Amino acid sequence: MSDRALATLDGVTRAYGGVPVLDGVSLSVGAGVTAVVGPNGSGKSTLLGLLAGAVEPTAGAVRYAEGGPRSRSERCVGYLPQRVPFRDGFTARETLGFYAALVGGDPGGALADVGLGDAAEKRVEELSGGMRRLLGIAQATLGDPAVVVLDEPTSGLDPEMRERAFRAAARAGDDAAVVVSSHDLDLVDAHADAVVVLRRGRVAAVGARDRLLDEHGVDDVAGLYRAVAGRSDDRAPAVAEGEGGGSGGEADDRGEGEAGDPDDGSVHVPGVSDR
Amino acid sequence: MSSPFTGVWVVFRRELSTVRRTPGYAVLAVGLLAVLGGLVAVGGGGATGFVPAVVDLLLPAEVLVPLLAVVLGYRALFADVASGELDVIRTYPVSAVGYVLGVLLARVVALVALVGGPFALVGAYVWLTAAPDTGIFATHSGVDSPVLFVRFIALVVPFGAAYLSLSAAVSTIATSRRSAFALGLLALLGGVLGGDLAVLRSLAAGASPGGVAESIALSPNGAFRGLVFEHVIGVAFAPEGGFVDTGRAVASLVGWSVLGIVAAVAAVAFGPRVGVAIERLRGSVRR
Repeated sequence: MSDRALATLDGVTRAYGGVPVLDGVSLSVGAGVTAVVGPNGSGKSTLLGLLAGAVEPTAGAVRYAEGGPRSRSERCVGYLPQRVPFRDGFTARETLGFYAALVGGDPGGALADVGLGDAAEKRVEELSGGMRRLLGIAQATLGDPAVVVLDEPTSGLDPEMRERAFRAAARAGDDAAVVVSSHDLDLVDAHADAVVVLRRGRVAAVGARDRLLDEHGVDDVAGLYRAVAGRSDDRAPAVAEGEGGGSGGEADDRGEGEAGDPDDGSVHVPGVSDR
Repeated sequence: MSSPFTGVWVVFRRELSTVRRTPGYAVLAVGLLAVLGGLVAVGGGGATGFVPAVVDLLLPAEVLVPLLAVVLGYRALFADVASGELDVIRTYPVSAVGYVLGVLLARVVALVALVGGPFALVGAYVWLTAAPDTGIFATHSGVDSPVLFVRFIALVVPFGAAYLSLSAAVSTIATSRRSAFALGLLALLGGVLGGDLAVLRSLAAGASPGGVAESIALSPNGAFRGLVFEHVIGVAFAPEGGFVDTGRAVASLVGWSVLGIVAAVAAVAFGPRVGVAIERLRGSVRR
């Protein structure tokens, strides 16, 4: 994993209806897999939407080392939203073919990379939930973007599919910054190089996984999560995350309102790449 | 790296493929053909000639063409917005202009096939069954001719395209499929009735009847109707013309289409920023 920051959030705030869902978040991500974990409503989907350019910040800025999501010359950011959005009626190959044609990619190769080579001629609506997510991961990595954003790629999947999804994400992380939100802490433990723990719209912990585990004296990411995000004073989110979040994750992460770490209103945490 | 035209072409192909795989559109085209055929039959059949057929079809066309155009347009851009796929497409090197043009060009091609096709079939029916003198390709006024029906179809397409782009544009602000349909319906009613009601209101308010030929061309329906009278019906019966200012009417139809495209591009390009601007305004008011 490289220390070079491929994407940086600088004091980013996003509010909905006047309620901040993310509040003064600053962090950087470099090559490798960065897992974003946190309770429902902590701002994970909004954070990932900001990185993918699907959500605009109300304050602060998102910067990229190699152009952003709106780059017109090449694809710099790949994105799989929480709800896989592909059109029914098209086969997996046709669906990926559409996106591949925009970046000059190889749909057959991308399907094979995620283990969907045999399902290439199946229509999207005939694919299982796991296969749709794998198709989404294949789409997100087309064009070899420097930053790949995957919003809960394992949600609703069986253990085998979860493992496949994370393995596919980890493969993409060899050269790119892969940012994955997930509740599967065991898979995060197995595959993530770095971890961001969100709590009430703020960064509660961020850094290399091993370093965070050492700092908090815990054995795994589940322990880290309990130590950092699972405090007894955590209020339940007003709106839970889940399947079917709307465009740009706008409805996914609303919740805690003004909540946050009381000791710092605009946490600036050294980034994953120790920015 | 892909050129801007690559993006338009790729989006165009996918959109056309989507329309082709939606059987409901073909059903609508068959329904339109049945209605048009029925109207011509009730009006005396194909034997009456091309211009009488146009006279029979003009008023229904003013309602049916916008209706089908709205059906084709109201989900054209909304579908990708609602599913979240637009957020994914935005990460690819295709501009908002390229995306909107690709979608709308494909829908216009579909409009030509699904709306122009039934009109062309009715024209073919008239050609096959009309009296002998209607087969003349008239180059002067006073003669019924297939050319006049071709002109009519050529005017139907830009008329429908105006409604198509407008309905696609208004659908980008919809929050659900139902509201997208409601907004499309609003555009339909506003266009079909709004222009004529505005002209009637201006006449009632004392406007000069001499200005009707100019003001009628401002609405899509008025422009279409005026052009049909001027260049189809009027050619056979009234050489002097003067139903509408042709340049103004053509500019009106093109203008409405361009307005829809520009609004749609603006919504796709700047839509997310509008929400942010509102949030910032809300924040500054609270402070």
